[in-house]
Amino acid sequence: MHLDRGFWTATAVIVLLSLAGLLFWIFVPITGIMPEAVDRARQIDLLYRFLAASGTALLAAVFGYIFYFVFRFRRRPNQSPDEIGLQIHDNHRLEFWWTLIPALYILALAIVSVNLFFQIEPVNAQGNTLVVEALGHQWYYTFRYPGIHGEVKDLHLPVGQPVTMHVSAYDVIHSFWIPDMRLKADMVPGLINTLVFTPTRVGKYELLCTEFCGEFHGEMRSGTSQDHAWVYIEPRAKYQAWYDATQKAQANVSDAIQVVSSGAVNLSGGNPAKGHAIFVAKCSACHALGPFDQKIVGPGLKGVLHDPQHPNLVNGEKATPEDVAKILQNGFNGPMGTMPNQTSNGLSDKDIADLVAYLNTLK
Amino acid sequence: MAVAAVHSGGIADHIHPEPEGFLRKYVFSLDHKIIGIQYIVTAGIFMILAGALAELIRVQLMKANGGFMTPDTYNAVFTMHGSTMVWFVIIPLLTGGFGNLVMPVQIGARDVAFPWLNMIAYWIFPVAGLMLYSSFLMGAPVAGWTEYPPMSLQGGAGTSMWCAAVFLVGVGSTMTGMNFLVTILKMRAPGMTFTRMPLFVWGQFVTAPLLMIATTALGAALAALFIQREFGVPFFDPAKGGSALLWQHMFWFYSHPAVYIMILPAFGMISEVFPTFARKPIFGYKMIAFSSCAIAILGFMVWAHHMFTSGMAPTLQLPFMVLTMLIAIPTGVKIFSWTATLFGGILEFSTAMLYSVGFLLLFTIGGVTGVFLAAVPFDLHAHGTYFIVAHFHYVIAGGSVMGALAALYYWYPKMTGRLMNEKMGKWSFWLYMIGMNGTFLPMHWLGLWGMPRRYAVYDPQFQTWNQIESWFSFVMTASILLTIFNALWSIKYGKPSGPNPWKARTLEWQIPSPMPYYNFKHIPSVFSAPYDFAEPLPYRGLEEELTDSPPPVPVGAH
Amino acid sequence: MAVASVTHAGLVGRPYEEPDQLYLETRELRVQGFLLFMVSDLVLFSSFIFAYLYLRNTGQGWPPPGAPKLDLALAAINSVILFGSGATMHFALENWKHRHFMKFANWIVLTIVLGALFLSGQLIEYAKLAVGWGSSGIFGAGFFTLTGMHGFHVFCGIIYLTVLLLQTLQGKYTFTKYTGLTLGTLYWHFVDVIWVVLFSIFYLY
Repeated sequence: MHLDRGFWTATAVIVLLSLAGLLFWIFVPITGIMPEAVDRARQIDLLYRFLAASGTALLAAVFGYIFYFVFRFRRRPNQSPDEIGLQIHDNHRLEFWWTLIPALYILALAIVSVNLFFQIEPVNAQGNTLVVEALGHQWYYTFRYPGIHGEVKDLHLPVGQPVTMHVSAYDVIHSFWIPDMRLKADMVPGLINTLVFTPTRVGKYELLCTEFCGEFHGEMRSGTSQDHAWVYIEPRAKYQAWYDATQKAQANVSDAIQVVSSGAVNLSGGNPAKGHAIFVAKCSACHALGPFDQKIVGPGLKGVLHDPQHPNLVNGEKATPEDVAKILQNGFNGPMGTMPNQTSNGLSDKDIADLVAYLNTLK
Repeated sequence: MAVAAVHSGGIADHIHPEPEGFLRKYVFSLDHKIIGIQYIVTAGIFMILAGALAELIRVQLMKANGGFMTPDTYNAVFTMHGSTMVWFVIIPLLTGGFGNLVMPVQIGARDVAFPWLNMIAYWIFPVAGLMLYSSFLMGAPVAGWTEYPPMSLQGGAGTSMWCAAVFLVGVGSTMTGMNFLVTILKMRAPGMTFTRMPLFVWGQFVTAPLLMIATTALGAALAALFIQREFGVPFFDPAKGGSALLWQHMFWFYSHPAVYIMILPAFGMISEVFPTFARKPIFGYKMIAFSSCAIAILGFMVWAHHMFTSGMAPTLQLPFMVLTMLIAIPTGVKIFSWTATLFGGILEFSTAMLYSVGFLLLFTIGGVTGVFLAAVPFDLHAHGTYFIVAHFHYVIAGGSVMGALAALYYWYPKMTGRLMNEKMGKWSFWLYMIGMNGTFLPMHWLGLWGMPRRYAVYDPQFQTWNQIESWFSFVMTASILLTIFNALWSIKYGKPSGPNPWKARTLEWQIPSPMPYYNFKHIPSVFSAPYDFAEPLPYRGLEEELTDSPPPVPVGAH
Repeated sequence: MAVASVTHAGLVGRPYEEPDQLYLETRELRVQGFLLFMVSDLVLFSSFIFAYLYLRNTGQGWPPPGAPKLDLALAAINSVILFGSGATMHFALENWKHRHFMKFANWIVLTIVLGALFLSGQLIEYAKLAVGWGSSGIFGAGFFTLTGMHGFHVFCGIIYLTVLLLQTLQGKYTFTKYTGLTLGTLYWHFVDVIWVVLFSIFYLY
């Protein structure tokens, strides 16, 4: 087996192409095409550059040698039909290296990816996190904010503040993708998925659904009509102005089905054991005694009155005994389903007191 | 007897008389070669249907705001395109088609282990296909070939029919897997150890357990979906305690091995074409065989890489990411081995060889983007976009289909005794390369720039690229139509091929073309792998195969 | 006895014929094929078992609200009946191997009867649970689907064994060539093994 000059020339060309590819992928201005709007996007784009550069090198090698061999070893007209090629069965040294080097590359890739993976995964965000909910419907998005009653049509976020976004869906699986953020989460009915990120660039961004959701899946994206959400990342003052205005505008939006009484329930003397029995009989079909995101129809209720990380109640109120009692009184008409009010559930005021007392024991 | 043949009185000598009558010979045949041709023809018909559906997609996508079809029709069209291509074209063609046609002869057997099961498995295929297409009449399935609930719980009865049709074709697949596994384990000719088997047989051998095990898991998922739709049993409905993610786990546990079912036989096919047209051994036979086993096994452990954005627990995502990256290693080894097979050869660029080289180039592209997608942080951006569509079309249309086309041009003489027209073949190859790449290459960047998949209408900024893709898709269609025309034309007008037009060394080329119903007059014994062109053929007992001597007489009464 | 003379007439001349090469090779293929079929069936059950365990652990808990509690005692009795039928089938095959035709016949009939008893027990249990397949939430999805599939396999097994018995009466099997009987026994034991798993995951877990 001899590796002639042609072979080494081909090898040199391959190396040059790989280097050219490497330079291309280092310097190509990805953000000129698609801005990086969150903290993680830069690192994800770096990973992409790494993948693309190594992919280019591999393709240069495979394509390069194939083209060279196809040219160099093609049958010439003057060759006898009985002529055979070099009867090489294997070459253990070559096979060893071309197994080891890709294995090392995969190892490197795995390390880089795992590292980035842990940086992206939702952890309890430190500091001042804005908790927002995004809901998918056939065929539009809605958002819920702490302190704002009802739902809003567009997603507004203050730049530079960490966000914890809980996503779910009402009817079928949707997906929440902001391409300029390089982050995506499926919106699955019955589950709450969480994205943790910090928006870093002011602007107006597209939001698209990337999981087939029915007839108008293709229109469930920004800009197709007035109904479809945009994502606004704004300076804090502008965001605050929007928040205040919306909160005021929707102050009287009621999520309740029917307000039963305007008076508050007397919560003293509630019996947790009785409350437990009522819970099993009337609530456990829709609520699990598990973490918040263990949804059946409604969210899990473990620690609802005690866990500082527990999101606000569905109506935007903080989870205090009085507000929980109000929900039990009035019910809640939400996208996930309807929580019956006191009358429909057959709960007396005493039952509500017992239930709240029971919920108070869930730490 | 002058010939050193094996006459043990066993299966090798158990020859049935030649079947008589049109029905027995060509319709309800028990002969694996006829059954193989039946699969190839039927899969060809479904390919025309699925290809037409693809062109409907491409016509719709020429305009960003659509208008050629209603969104509902478009959704049904891409669902049926995918379902047909996976279950009614690629899998039957590569396993039931070429597997049946070639594998038993390559191992020196007279037929498969269970010929009756083989025939039943074939006939399930067109019946299931009719069932699938009847779903158009009852509210077609619309949620993609993946039919995720709760979406697939909505809509007309066509989705339930889809469940039944795919379940049924899966039963046929499972039967084929069992049949091939027992055949290869038990019916190889004397002397044919595993390391003397042709690599096409290795391809079928590692695919057979996938067919058996994975397809049954799909059957369970389909049955559960059907039961939920028809009887209200809430496997997948979260409002009643079920889980939408459960479907994804059950479905992808099958469908990931399914993609290996679609590629491993193609690996085997090109492993036969390269040595023949390079006149030298396949490089790294043992590594290619061993890495096929590794891919088949690893293929069962990576299914959740289709679910990285679904809300799976983070700690579960990591092992799937790492295992998916690992599969790149045995795959890379094979690509390098095939490339090295070209080194130092005397390369003859018949159409089969052209398609095989094309496979090597395009499958590598698909494999590279697969490694990209294994990295979860990248997948979070690319999932559900046209980047995915690009990736899988490169590995299927650039991989499996090109392998099947190479196999068609290569083994056509064994089916018909004639050669396909080389000029038409070469035209079809170049049209395919141009058409396929023009259609699917731009999808990579369209996906990354923000075009999701399964969109009947899309952002107008992508319209120009979509139009370019559609025009190139017409070129690709022309190529396929030319190949089909070539195959039909050559039945009558093709040059007679003789037994071994390519001077190949595996057993099927040592008997006449077309292959006689009994395969071999005398079952040969084998004393080496067939790839060493410097040596004489490694078989004993084939002296009479190409002579005028009479066909073998059945030994003992039947 | 009239039956004995009919059956022995079917076997006369052939009961001890030596298996030839073709039979031995074909037998190997059939046994392997049948084993692969059972592997595939196992995958089918495993998929639904996975579905049940997944639903049980990620949803409403078990039993889900509104679902009945399972009766361990009835199921235990039923299990003994089924395992007993496995033992009787084993004895049937052993007796055939030892060339005792009548004893084989008795044991296989007993197996069929026990199998039918098991199925009756299952139907009684279903009636007592008094909920529907589609109206009991994930209880139906898990319990009825799996035990129903298993019951269907038992039902097919009963038919299978009955056919085998009739075939032996027609003299299809000899004392040296009885692959069909071996495979039937294998299937019946398979159905037993599946029940061990189902019993554990529904009544003991």
